[in-house]
Amino acid sequence: MRRWWAVAALCVAGAALWVAAAGAQPEPRRPHFTDIAPKSDFAYRTDNNFTGRKYFPQTMCGGVAAFDFDNDGRMDLFFTNGAKLPEMEKTDARFYNCLLRNRGDGTFEDVTARAGLLGKKLGFSFGVAAGDYDNDGYQDLFICNAGPNTLYHNNGDGTFTDVTERSGIGTKPKDIVSVAAAWFDYDNDGKLDLIVSNYTVWTPQIDKICAVNGQEYYCHPKVYPSVAHRLYHNLGNGRFEDVTDSSGIGKELGKGMGIAIADFNGDGYMDVFVANDTVRNFLFINQKNGTFKESGYEWGVAYDENGNAHSSMGADAKDYDNDGFPDLFYNNLKGQIWGLFRNMGGKYMSYVSGLSHVSRLSEHSSGWSNGFVDYNNDGWKDLYSSNGDIDNMGEISRQPDTMFENVNGKEFRDVSAQLGPDFNHAGFQRGSAFVDLNNDGFPDLVVTSLAEKPRILMNSADNGNHWLLVNTIGRRSNRDGIGAVLKLTTASGRTLYNHVTTSGGFMSSSDKRVHFGLGTEKAIDSLEIRWPSGIVQILKKVKADQILTVTEPGR
Amino acid sequence: MTARTPKSKPAPLCFIISLLASTLGGQQPAASSDALLQHAITLHQAGELDDAIRAYREYLAVEPDSVQARSNLGTVLARAGRYDEAIAEYALGLRKSPDNPALLLNLGLAYYKTGRHAEAAARFERAVSLSPQFKEQVTLLLAVCYNNLGRYKDAVALLAPLEKDKAGDAGFDYLFGTALIGDGQEAAGTAVISRILSRGDSAEAYLLRGTLELSAHDRDSARADLEKAIALNPRLAGAHARLGELLLSQGDSERARAVFAHELALDPDEFTSNLNMGVLAKQDQGYAEARRYFERALRTRPNDPGVRYQLANVDLSTGNLELARRALEVLIAESPDFAEAHATLATVYYRLNRSADGDRERAVSQKLMDRRDALPAGTKPR
Repeated sequence: MRRWWAVAALCVAGAALWVAAAGAQPEPRRPHFTDIAPKSDFAYRTDNNFTGRKYFPQTMCGGVAAFDFDNDGRMDLFFTNGAKLPEMEKTDARFYNCLLRNRGDGTFEDVTARAGLLGKKLGFSFGVAAGDYDNDGYQDLFICNAGPNTLYHNNGDGTFTDVTERSGIGTKPKDIVSVAAAWFDYDNDGKLDLIVSNYTVWTPQIDKICAVNGQEYYCHPKVYPSVAHRLYHNLGNGRFEDVTDSSGIGKELGKGMGIAIADFNGDGYMDVFVANDTVRNFLFINQKNGTFKESGYEWGVAYDENGNAHSSMGADAKDYDNDGFPDLFYNNLKGQIWGLFRNMGGKYMSYVSGLSHVSRLSEHSSGWSNGFVDYNNDGWKDLYSSNGDIDNMGEISRQPDTMFENVNGKEFRDVSAQLGPDFNHAGFQRGSAFVDLNNDGFPDLVVTSLAEKPRILMNSADNGNHWLLVNTIGRRSNRDGIGAVLKLTTASGRTLYNHVTTSGGFMSSSDKRVHFGLGTEKAIDSLEIRWPSGIVQILKKVKADQILTVTEPGR
Repeated sequence: MTARTPKSKPAPLCFIISLLASTLGGQQPAASSDALLQHAITLHQAGELDDAIRAYREYLAVEPDSVQARSNLGTVLARAGRYDEAIAEYALGLRKSPDNPALLLNLGLAYYKTGRHAEAAARFERAVSLSPQFKEQVTLLLAVCYNNLGRYKDAVALLAPLEKDKAGDAGFDYLFGTALIGDGQEAAGTAVISRILSRGDSAEAYLLRGTLELSAHDRDSARADLEKAIALNPRLAGAHARLGELLLSQGDSERARAVFAHELALDPDEFTSNLNMGVLAKQDQGYAEARRYFERALRTRPNDPGVRYQLANVDLSTGNLELARRALEVLIAESPDFAEAHATLATVYYRLNRSADGDRERAVSQKLMDRRDALPAGTKPR
């Protein structure tokens, strides 16, 4: 296309113009982000209680979930928080978790106390996962803690009830630190199960002190033991069974961080990737019989290309090159190379960090929560990462986030600097969620940062691109539709893929609605939904620029 | 760590020349060919190198089995800087006389001059074993080879007995300090550095100290010392390579690339720079370029398991599964504790649909990594 253009230019105005036309690459208009958090009155700050002593959990604080707790059509926000150390108690309000109700006018109301989500008894909290585990139409919350984990049932009236005890989901070995969780239906029985990523065994009493030249630093993970992640099977009636051992998940010991859920081999069953810190990553391939086989070696994602395990942090699985197979993206610390893996037809993953330029783009950043997100609605999913060093000792410990823009599904370029000063805020960023807060079809970002108020970054949505948001409602499948695979074909024949999940990144849970950027195209020829139940639903001639609610048909 | 000698080099060892036709041993060349040889030697002595080369070749056309003429031709070729041709002539000579210590020494020197330290060391060692009188002449060269090959323990063993007599000699101190530091003998290495610095500012001493600091993860001090070394002597061998390693450890691969390239401009065979440039190229998935660097590194250290592992990884990444499998199988046979090699071999087996072999290698790699994880943690921040 570009060559044809160039030839035309030559015919009209000669060689000089041809050179100019061929050399000119008009930069696409890019949206930018503006932090609207200051407009709202809420007290929450991510508080890891850093007062000089460096306790192990302090580096991981500030999980975030984007979900519509009151079903008013506007996505709300929930944040987890730390605790007083070494007491491990939320001794005062500064450590409370926080629920912000989206008023729909660009401001948020703190409704935490009214909702019963302060979490006074939770100790030090990390990740959060939103999902409607009881299929009642209201998304519930699971919170990962250094102590026992917590399941909150959404009562549908603006309040939540701690149902951990009676659900059976609170079981885990003593003193295990859980940092992230993801809802998914691994046996396609229509009920959401839960996988929890565990890091180690830790209490303040066994906290290790590491120092060099008298200066304390956060110890290398090696000083703490690896542990098994946990899988809970949803039995219905609000009960869960710990199937960690019988499912095979418990065979592998890691230092779990982010979780990415996707059907990597296209067999209709959801698989699980767990990023591990300094331990090889795990890819649990669903065997379709209630068990999983850890297949990181086979798939080539256990280690990097040099056989090294890095400090893998956040993880996400989406199809960045629109070939119909979900790819994988994990980030890690400065000086390491973020991993971008291309799914080779559902058989294995090819390491493409170098080819895609991600290796060079990422080497200066320490990434935490991350993900694929088509922030500019051009139909290509970009790579976002919330960044900040693990410690506060180096010159560039405070870091800005990064957005690597996807160029035609092949390579990425760093456009962070063009996304506005609020996006480029330097800090110790940790959790992040993708969410369309004002329902304008452009993804917004919510990012936590240690010792700071979270940023609620609104997408300027001003490049004229079109979009579609799909809100799936399962009937035979789980009500959220988590695991449903969507294939969108535009009028021009371009195919885009995505799937329903709330998990992704690190400690965080995103908008469950499936987002498609359509670029300049306004017409959608078809939208195919493959539900976890196996039902395939095809919608024809769908209008762009709308939030489309699709209910799973009966068989 | 590599260490070509700076400033004060080991006493140069001359190629050994058989200048007199009368030393031709039991051979009795015909009178006309004898005259040819005399003519070649005369030209050689007069420094008429091209003519001497021609004359020796004319003689060898008549007397192809003359070991001495072959050796002299090699020597004059080496003097002309035509080391590859010299090596070929010495090798032909050694076919006829495999235990000729002078030929071995000359061949070792030619290899040394071309930076092929593994080959040089092997010839020096053999020459000394056949003629112990050569030991004093080759000791320092051999130590340079050992340092370049990463055989620091051997270098220390060679140099330690000489310390009493040679301590204070700048070249010796640098060589010995490099060996000690490479061998992990930090206290002894520090003592040698102090000895060098007591004589005033020294690029070599700063390089050694920077190397020590780098291995102790004291990056700020290492950077200061390495930059001082380069400022004092921008052509100091190994200084840019160390700085490159430091920059890599700080995540600055762009500058590291430039610094390694600088080192390779000074010495195309420098091991660390070739290895790291290869790794960086591989990181960019420039596999052909990576292969070139790795092969160059292997020239310096022919059996280095790390480089061979990298090459096997290049094979895996470029889809040459059988090549990768063969290389990794040899590698783990030689280095059974190489956990990463077992892990990569597991992946290769899985890709080749050899699941049982993959499972076995995976288990081995996991066991090795668990064992490594059980070691006491280091004392550095992440």
